[in-house]
Amino acid sequence: MRILITLLFACSLFFGWGHPAIAADQNLVKETTQLWEDSLHALNDVNCSSCHTDEKTKEFVAKPQTSCRSCHEAAVDTFLLGKHGIRLREGKPALTPAIARLPMREDAHNLQMNCNTCHDVHSVKTVPAAVDSCLTCHADNHSLNYKNSRHAELFDADRNLPRPSADSVSCATCHLPRHEAKLSDRTTALVNHNNTYNLLPRDRMVGEVCMNCHGVEYSYNSIFDDKLVEANFDAPPTLSLETFDLVRELEKRRAE
Amino acid sequence: MAQESKKKGFGWRSLINFKVATIAACLALIGLFAAAFALDAKQVFLPGETSVGHYLFETSCASCHEGFKPVTNDTCMSCHEAELAQDLHGASKFRDPRWAGDLEKIAALTCTTCHEEHVHMFDRGVNLQPDLCMACHEGIINGDLKSHDGFTPDGCWTAGCHNYHDHRTISTGFLRANLDQPPMLPVQQMPDRTVVTTVETAPKPDLSQEFLGGSQ
Repeated sequence: MRILITLLFACSLFFGWGHPAIAADQNLVKETTQLWEDSLHALNDVNCSSCHTDEKTKEFVAKPQTSCRSCHEAAVDTFLLGKHGIRLREGKPALTPAIARLPMREDAHNLQMNCNTCHDVHSVKTVPAAVDSCLTCHADNHSLNYKNSRHAELFDADRNLPRPSADSVSCATCHLPRHEAKLSDRTTALVNHNNTYNLLPRDRMVGEVCMNCHGVEYSYNSIFDDKLVEANFDAPPTLSLETFDLVRELEKRRAE
Repeated sequence: MAQESKKKGFGWRSLINFKVATIAACLALIGLFAAAFALDAKQVFLPGETSVGHYLFETSCASCHEGFKPVTNDTCMSCHEAELAQDLHGASKFRDPRWAGDLEKIAALTCTTCHEEHVHMFDRGVNLQPDLCMACHEGIINGDLKSHDGFTPDGCWTAGCHNYHDHRTISTGFLRANLDQPPMLPVQQMPDRTVVTTVETAPKPDLSQEFLGGSQ
């Protein structure tokens, strides 16, 4: 009897239990292939093997770790300089929200920070990477209050686009800012993935980001108001920096 | 019997003396450091709290340190080159004979003069007292510039008005040029991303069965 049960168990493992697992994988491959077929990767002839092959050994790799950089060099290099990527640059295990000093969502504490954490590499749509990916981990007041801002209202119009437009403001607009780059055939914007580059001093953010839309005084009076920063700029600034009074007096003296 | 126990007690007590304690402490320390190395728990070697910018890789000593040599500018620049692309107080400033002598007041060409790590920081990773500008610019608040008469010596950068390294978007010239702009500029736009496609339809996927073989 015992032998029979063991045999049955072995057979079920071999014939029965193995198949559902493979079928689930096949579904995943099908879904993933569909995502890829509509993507910019597919329309630029970037096929499965372009990423899922080891550059040196030419062997198949199920979960590629390094293939993004072969095309997206600037994005990866800047990512490695910011807090998100610095641990990988310095040969440590990837950053997880558990070791952050800022408040993070508890259910995200063990997420490992790499390209694929924020980007769906098969659909290649960057709208989710611009806000939703950030809020998967970040749970400080500034992040949580984003939804109350005029910036978020503008971004909602982008929800069905593959990439954030030039007219909206997402988390990435300020923290992973675009900058113009001249390529051989056209001008485009590249994304600086160094998320700490323009955090301090705050005037770097003003020059690189705020003043694409806002006047200088409005920008400085907003970004130097810690409460307004925490509220994620849900109202016009009430601060009036003395710096601008000094510059106005200077202008008056020069005119006399 | 009584003699024996007396002998034993004496033996133990003789072990408790300064020499033995020193040796034991040294052995314990060596054991602790060896364990820290073996378990890759290098936090025990940190001499103080690491700054908010660097703590994420604070156990990777070799990222900044080569043995016990002082940290060089090159080490800092390997990450911070972009931030210092337009350095107002960079080497070219002090090649000018008018300012070269100021290096004696503050060793401004060495990053670690102001940005020492593992020590108390005032702000922005600066460990010098916030009035550090006064080493050279004391005259500004003492009569040389009328509008700044009576300003506090520690407010230049902590109040957000001046930047030591890159002041392109906070200089007086920049603020004058942009003064009285409306809250919303006439054109409000971020740089746009343009993309190109090289084929009209997606090619056939060149892998499929390989993905069923499990993860790697």
